[in-house]
Amino acid sequence: MEKVCVIGAGSTKYGKLEDSITDISLQASVDAIESAGIQPKEIQAGYISNVFGIADKQVHLGPVIMSDLGIPEVPSLSIESACGSGSVSFREAYANVAAGFYDVVLATGVEKVTHTGTEWTTTYFSYCSDFFYEGGAGASFPGLFASMARAYLAEFKATEEDLAMVAVKNHDNGFLNPKAHLRKKITIDDVLKSAVVASPLKLYDCCPFSDGASAVILCNEKFAKAHTKNYVEVIGSGRGGSPAALQGREHITTIPSTKLAAQAAYKMAGITPKDIDFAEVHDCFTIAELVDTEDLGFFEKGTAVQAVREGRTKLNSDISINPSGGLKSKGHPIGATGIGQVVEVFDQLTGKAGERTVKDARIGLTHNFGATGASCAVHIFKSV
Amino acid sequence: MQFTYSKVYKLLSKEEFINNAKAGKVLARKCTKCGHLHLVTTYFCQNCGNKSFENTIIDGKGSVVTYTIITVPPDGYEKYVPYAWVVMNLDNSELRISGFMANINSPADLPLGTRVKITGYDERGIILEKQ
Repeated sequence: MEKVCVIGAGSTKYGKLEDSITDISLQASVDAIESAGIQPKEIQAGYISNVFGIADKQVHLGPVIMSDLGIPEVPSLSIESACGSGSVSFREAYANVAAGFYDVVLATGVEKVTHTGTEWTTTYFSYCSDFFYEGGAGASFPGLFASMARAYLAEFKATEEDLAMVAVKNHDNGFLNPKAHLRKKITIDDVLKSAVVASPLKLYDCCPFSDGASAVILCNEKFAKAHTKNYVEVIGSGRGGSPAALQGREHITTIPSTKLAAQAAYKMAGITPKDIDFAEVHDCFTIAELVDTEDLGFFEKGTAVQAVREGRTKLNSDISINPSGGLKSKGHPIGATGIGQVVEVFDQLTGKAGERTVKDARIGLTHNFGATGASCAVHIFKSV
Repeated sequence: MQFTYSKVYKLLSKEEFINNAKAGKVLARKCTKCGHLHLVTTYFCQNCGNKSFENTIIDGKGSVVTYTIITVPPDGYEKYVPYAWVVMNLDNSELRISGFMANINSPADLPLGTRVKITGYDERGIILEKQ
């Protein structure tokens, strides 16, 4: 297998964006291409992740983006895997470069949904569940994670205040991120007093619906060395699956796909969770970050809540979790999120993260899943 | 919003599953090779990979594993707010099933472990009630 590197990364701001889904895809893609210092003509394939293109009247995004980049002949793959679309797409891009099919590829993720309103998004997002048992019985996405939260709080004697601490921490980080959707500091009280969306989760336990696009350039080591000194190497890539419906899982408070993906990625990288300096994890809801950091092996089962209480996941503490602000504060444009995490790791490991820089970081991890973790991908990156 | 049933559902006797739910029962599939129980939507045994099953009808009674109370609903559920979406353990089996429960206003109305039962199936999905 070829060594795979990321040599360029770009992102729009996340939030409510005016431009079309195609326009923001292009903005992020051009950013990534210029960051890599390459020409579009050097790109040999495109991997485009998106879920609800239908909301902005453009599906089959791949060929549109390739055409607008002046490379209509270049093949592309348009990928949907719910909220995990970006990381699953990155994995396909990675695998194709690792296998030697291509020397250099573009991976762009995008979502444009905020113009549709809360009812549309709540309804369409529920289609990402195992619909017969979940969305089709009235479960919203916040509702599914709220069910995980109620089970976690009961099993590990955690409180709604503990969940709120995750939100406060991620907003502190996102405050330092110029591209974050919700760029403001909040207090535990703000979270506890926000409207209940799906008990026990309140509005500030939930990430926002966001628009946004992110893009990265992947290539083999030979191409990377010939073009730049400032790049990162992908040292681990893992994928996993879980029973699509929560009812089919042995433990409601563990996501099997995260464990499988993480084990595979750690094994490939030849490292353990202790070697990770910082991680961008899938905190679509506050409860998810607790579950994720346990499933990724950073904390024993049931102890992530204690780590959060002690501030051990804050920026530049034991392990910086979501230095970007995470989905919670940076925002969650679902097709872009997994790629956006890679952009953050690239920025961190190449000295471009500004005020939110994780000091002396060499190894970063990304973790992104679809739905309640039915599909998942984990990647590990090392600075060179 | 209404369900439309594909041919795949018919192959898996989803309609039979729904008729059982209306009668307070769960139609499950028992692997003829290893005995592993599945809900009716499974084609291959998750334990041994076997493809043949015999139907097993389970009483739709059990206890609450976890749940949420929805206040911001998907389309079609506005008139039911607040309501609960519940995951329950089925008695005498390792199977769980989830469904819709009306008239739950606060967590005090439904402590974990509460005894519940399936009482029907309609446009809200599988309907659960307290025993």
